[in-house]
Amino acid sequence: MRLPFTRRAAAGETSPGVHPQPLWSYRPQSDREAGDAVVSNLLLHWFPSKVYKPSLAWNYSAWLGTISGALFFLLVLSGLPLMFLYVPSVERAYQSVKDIEYVVTFGWWIRAVHRIGAHLMVVAVVLHLARVFFTGAYKNGVGQGQQREWNWVIGVVMLLLTLFLSFTGYLLPWDQLAFWAVTVGTNIASAVPGIGPRIRELLIGGRAIEQATLIRFYVLHIIVLPGALGGLFAYHMWRIRKDGGLARADAAALAPDAKDTGPVPTKTYTLLGVARGTSPAVTARSPEAPDQTVNAVPDLTRRALIVILGTFALVSILASAIPSPLEEPANALITPNPAKAPWYFLWLQEIVTDTTIRLGSLTINGAFLGGVILPGLLVGLLTVWPWLDKSAVSTAGLWFPRSRRRQNLLFILAMLFILAFTFVGMFMRGPYWNLYWPWETWPGIPGRI
Amino acid sequence: MSDAKQPQNTDRRDFLLKLGAGAGFVAITAQAGASLRSLVPNVTYDAPTTVKVGPPGEFPDGLKFLPDQRLFVFRNGKTFHAISAVCTHLGCTVRAEALSRAEEQTIDGQPLRLTHRFMCPCHGSRYGGDGTNVSGPAPKPLAWYRLSVSPDDGQLVADLADEVDHSFRLTLP
Amino acid sequence: MEKRTNSPFPRIDRPVLAAIGIVLVGATVFFAWSDRQHDYKYYQYAFRGMVAEKLGAERAATVPSGLQQVWVPGLRRADRCVTCHQAVSWKGFETAEEPHRTHPGDLLKSHPPERFGCSACHGGQGWAIDTAAAHGEVAHWEEPLLGKPLGEAYSLTDNKAALMQMNCNICHRYERATKGAEMINLAKDLVQEKGCRACHVINGRGGTIGPDLTWVGDKAPEQYDYSRLSGQTTAFAWHVAHFKDPRALVQDTVMPNFHLSTKQAQALAMLMLSWRKAPFDAAFLPGVPRTDPQTADERKAEEDMKTGPGAWFVQTGCFVCHSIAALKVRSPAQIGPDLSTAVEDTQKRFGVTVDQFLKNPTGTMSVVLSRQIVLTPEQKETAIQKLREAFAEYQRLVAEGKNPLAPPVEAAPK
Repeated sequence: MRLPFTRRAAAGETSPGVHPQPLWSYRPQSDREAGDAVVSNLLLHWFPSKVYKPSLAWNYSAWLGTISGALFFLLVLSGLPLMFLYVPSVERAYQSVKDIEYVVTFGWWIRAVHRIGAHLMVVAVVLHLARVFFTGAYKNGVGQGQQREWNWVIGVVMLLLTLFLSFTGYLLPWDQLAFWAVTVGTNIASAVPGIGPRIRELLIGGRAIEQATLIRFYVLHIIVLPGALGGLFAYHMWRIRKDGGLARADAAALAPDAKDTGPVPTKTYTLLGVARGTSPAVTARSPEAPDQTVNAVPDLTRRALIVILGTFALVSILASAIPSPLEEPANALITPNPAKAPWYFLWLQEIVTDTTIRLGSLTINGAFLGGVILPGLLVGLLTVWPWLDKSAVSTAGLWFPRSRRRQNLLFILAMLFILAFTFVGMFMRGPYWNLYWPWETWPGIPGRI
Repeated sequence: MSDAKQPQNTDRRDFLLKLGAGAGFVAITAQAGASLRSLVPNVTYDAPTTVKVGPPGEFPDGLKFLPDQRLFVFRNGKTFHAISAVCTHLGCTVRAEALSRAEEQTIDGQPLRLTHRFMCPCHGSRYGGDGTNVSGPAPKPLAWYRLSVSPDDGQLVADLADEVDHSFRLTLP
Repeated sequence: MEKRTNSPFPRIDRPVLAAIGIVLVGATVFFAWSDRQHDYKYYQYAFRGMVAEKLGAERAATVPSGLQQVWVPGLRRADRCVTCHQAVSWKGFETAEEPHRTHPGDLLKSHPPERFGCSACHGGQGWAIDTAAAHGEVAHWEEPLLGKPLGEAYSLTDNKAALMQMNCNICHRYERATKGAEMINLAKDLVQEKGCRACHVINGRGGTIGPDLTWVGDKAPEQYDYSRLSGQTTAFAWHVAHFKDPRALVQDTVMPNFHLSTKQAQALAMLMLSWRKAPFDAAFLPGVPRTDPQTADERKAEEDMKTGPGAWFVQTGCFVCHSIAALKVRSPAQIGPDLSTAVEDTQKRFGVTVDQFLKNPTGTMSVVLSRQIVLTPEQKETAIQKLREAFAEYQRLVAEGKNPLAPPVEAAPK
């Protein structure tokens, strides 16, 4: 397929040293045209012109990073009309969300896309992190100047930003769900010894959740956090290029049966500044071997398009099918029963329920142990894991290699533990945080009339 | 090239590619359009155009300014008329200034007692006592609006959507 | 020809892309279609037909279409009820089926919808545009439509639509009687007659034995104890049951059972739920003082009691349950016996002297004297002395040939 505005070389232009530069070509006729299609296109320029074939396999990365990116993009897009329609004031926020739900054409759908997209993004980012962990993809391979461990650290920060983005968005409808989820969430922050209350005060702009909180969370949600996440996302992608693509590529180069292909031309590397030093990674066993690579256009772009459009379609359908809840207007005088944090923090809420410790007269608030120490420890461990992982370089880019079995098992256990607590918090906690089986009905919640 | 040997195959692949990419493009354009459509307001939060402004007896002889409706209501005994305070140039609220001496004039074949003149603070437009633009950038006279009496409770009703000409008077029995 | 690396991927990629593109188009069509599914389109179509039939095609053309709302900034209400209930202010549809019926009565003259909206009186969710959500029959909406179906669910005695009067009383709470709100008026009369203020503060006046009732309608539904209540667990049902038999719901309450009829209990429950704060401009309040006024006689009787010979019994709180007729103290509740004859009476009832009884009370008085009215030994001495004085006065009046136990004429109950 050739777009009408692209230019093909006229016969006379193919003189030596001059080659035609089509603006864009979806189905390039030659490898050089495929490379040009990447270099000359703003959207595609973050791709290399050639990609190591197994990196594109569905069953290696499951394209979870692309899905996360697509969701982030979708959230920015659906957030734009919502910014026009939503009023960040305690008097009118709830009312404006009711208007979006009821009288704005497609308003309910845009809000649902934003909400479903946010939930799915948390899921996708966590799964992406799990994939990178299981495949040891934070390990450096054969290339020079690789710093995959730092890209992992950035990924962890991006996960935290994603969670915080979702959390700040939670308050904006200013309903009971929002108000009390944020009350519980910010009180966990105040459990930090010494400076805790001051952190909370800074976060919510006072001692009570009020207009100051709403505008803080609003600005964080629409400018600060998406800006930071977008910046880190760009850096994350750039680092992947600097590190020579996915770890899968290094794994193939290091595989014992890798064919010795002899020196291969890698000048596009230096042109695009992908590797450091004057002599880029020209090795005899470069993964860039011609028979191992495919053109980014169209093989990478086609799959990326499938993933992005598929993500959009999924969110679109879910948004039409699942109505977004909006509870009663926020009321500081009435705590709903039960009051629950957002689902991705429910495991923490479940843990803080059980971790208040009493030793004689000394009482340690569960919010400190379960809400600060434990998640802090988990995040800290995640961050430094690339330096703790001493397994062989050859295990990077492979699913569940034997030598990394122990740490993968540990990770799975931690995930199962979090999932189990999330499940209990979501489906088994009823009024007064009492335990119920998922099939048991809760006692009816009394109404006014 | 292998593609060249299988023209039919190429056609089918091309078609599928066009179908997929094209459908995606169409759908995303439609969704972007839907997002834009959401900005067109379906309900109005504007003040209603027909408003009860109080019992006629409570209006003083001469002029009363109603800031909520941006309206001057004039009373001369049992006769009422209303002139908009919205400048016809760019919509600022004009100020009324009492004349040192009221004048009797015939406007559109009806007698009218002129007690005020109007000046716009934004660009200096000036209007005469019946709202005629006298000087400044104002392109046309101030609007006159219909007054009536509510059959329910006898209050004066101003209809800000119904412009009338300068011969309009509401005369109470 | 330049070199071209062929795609090594299975050909399935292209059909997958095509399929996903088509699914995305389908998803887009689906949400656009579901956005248009609203009942109001049918109702507006039907109403236009009704107008055309009754008043001619010309009038039918003036029936507005699309979403309609009444925006009342002073009440922060945007009521879209008129999107379906288009006939509200049209004359001639008095007997039509809802939602195409003219608003009954002439209430709209004093409460024009453009100033009061709909939901301020009727309840329901004004924001919504679909029936169930608008009528408040959905989760997370606490103000259901106060109409007949709800009244039937609560088996209201006479007028099944009376629940709406609760909302009348949010604004009209300081009036003694409000035209058209019979149930609320009945309840207000009961509050005077039964002397609720002896124990409860209402609008800033009253006793402190029971809870302050001024804003009791704002009490959260979860704050009530439903463990002894059968049937609906709502604040309204709780109040009805509690008025009928307080002790059945709250075991150790000192609130007396007034043996109210079902209607009276329902009226009082409505009054309780109507005592709530509502955000509105002062302009929405009818022109009455922000308290319910007392008559001059009532004020005088109260003043006499407070400063007369029986003042000690009033200050101590005995008068809540006991009259001391000899000293012109009249209890609003009259739950306990008249204390004028207590010196004699304790011998008869309990077989002990008044001194012994006060030091060692039994029955209800043991609860009252240990929890509500706690007296020091010195105060008990005073009490005994005062009771003797009362009895002396009683004997003097009997000797004069009067019957002091008959209530004084000017303070006789209605």
